[in-house]
Amino acid sequence: MLVTWKYRPRDTFIQSLDPRARLTFMACVILAITATDVWDARLLLPVFAISMVLYFMARIEWRDVRRAWIFILVFILFIIGLNALLGGRGGPLSVLQDDSSVLYALSIPIPLTPWRINLTVTVVRSFFALVQMMRMITMAALAIPIPYTIDPSIYGVTFRRMGASDKLSFTMDLAFRFVPTLGRDFMITMDAQRARGYELESVRGGLIQRLRRLAPLLVPVTMQAIVNGEEVIDAMDLRAFGARRRTWLRELHLRQRDYWFMALGVIILVIMMTARILGYGEFWVPGFWYRLVGT
Amino acid sequence: MKSKSMWSFGTREVVYGAIGAALYGILSWASNFVPLPAAGNISFRPAIAVMVFFGSAFGPWVGLLTGLLGNTLGDALTGWGLYWNWSVGNGLIGLVAGLAVNLIKNYRSGRDIGIGVGYGILGNAVGLLFASLTEIFVGGIDLNTALVGYFTPAFLGNSVVTIILLPILLVAYAAVAARRGR
Repeated sequence: MLVTWKYRPRDTFIQSLDPRARLTFMACVILAITATDVWDARLLLPVFAISMVLYFMARIEWRDVRRAWIFILVFILFIIGLNALLGGRGGPLSVLQDDSSVLYALSIPIPLTPWRINLTVTVVRSFFALVQMMRMITMAALAIPIPYTIDPSIYGVTFRRMGASDKLSFTMDLAFRFVPTLGRDFMITMDAQRARGYELESVRGGLIQRLRRLAPLLVPVTMQAIVNGEEVIDAMDLRAFGARRRTWLRELHLRQRDYWFMALGVIILVIMMTARILGYGEFWVPGFWYRLVGT
Repeated sequence: MKSKSMWSFGTREVVYGAIGAALYGILSWASNFVPLPAAGNISFRPAIAVMVFFGSAFGPWVGLLTGLLGNTLGDALTGWGLYWNWSVGNGLIGLVAGLAVNLIKNYRSGRDIGIGVGYGILGNAVGLLFASLTEIFVGGIDLNTALVGYFTPAFLGNSVVTIILLPILLVAYAAVAARRGR
């Protein structure tokens, strides 16, 4: 199996944007919904909608992204469920001062201890869980498309032009370039060890034994990479790496659409911050939710 | 090499940081189809041992880059996305593990290996705590949820992997380090 990138060139608006504009937009939205601590669904819903629209505009094939979405959704449900089970604290204070009617209550004694696990789902808490889910999915919808839509060969120059040092950016570039070679070495080593009778798939033995069995795979790949690294260091030193400012093969240019896109991110951030300063953005449960869940 | 400050950042750090990151990314990606032991929701990722090893053998910068860039690469290969807080958290694991670099003189000695493992576990605690606590702001979850849901399973799994695989990697590296003569 070859190591391949998820990236594929697509003729989409998203991929025509400069990666710096996209990362700036993402940073603004992350700040807007986390640092400001806005919990009002009326403010969060438009941001959620924007991030979903952008996600669909990236036109990533479902079969490519299915695994990631299933994993992330299951994990979100697990975390929200666990949060409810562990007392449902966190988030805004109004969720704690909750006197709405109870929809479901469960109390399980923990064997051999005097404690009990209490799960109480109220009208307010059920809506809070929904808002939590909305925030997490907003972030996931922005994060998931990145590897599918940004060319791995321009990560280095992207971070360089965003202010990272030459050396740091070049490390990133080099890491991306090493991936196919080291991936091939990894596969060759695995096949070679299997030919010698190495049983990777074997489920025999306890945990420690099974972890130790990974050593015949990890050790040769890692040590070979280090030995080859010496040659790369010599080659780079001989070419006076780090002596002067680097130039980059690919240059990035911000266009009008990139400025608009970054402006959208900044506007979202400013709106959220202003709302918070003016006292809006507290957790709010819509009236229809009380009627819908039957109280 | 040992006489140099552990904070110097030259060609060596660039190259080993890149190699560490690429290996960390590939091994994280390989975890998806190589059957790995798991207990409950604790998964044991061998990639962690490689990252801690790069920190303990080449210093804090290489550890930081291996974790920071390696996690970004791993997520790019598997297609999960880009999560800055987990990348920074992984970087912190490598950085703290790398603080042991000048304390490890002999890669075969039990004491020095113990120091490497100790710093590796400390690094895991620091890095995973950072990543788990930032999730509180993202999801509005409780501190307990962050600790039980994110921190504890990852910390336990990573510590077991570090304890078992790091000594093997350090002993194997002793031969390579002697041969390189640097």
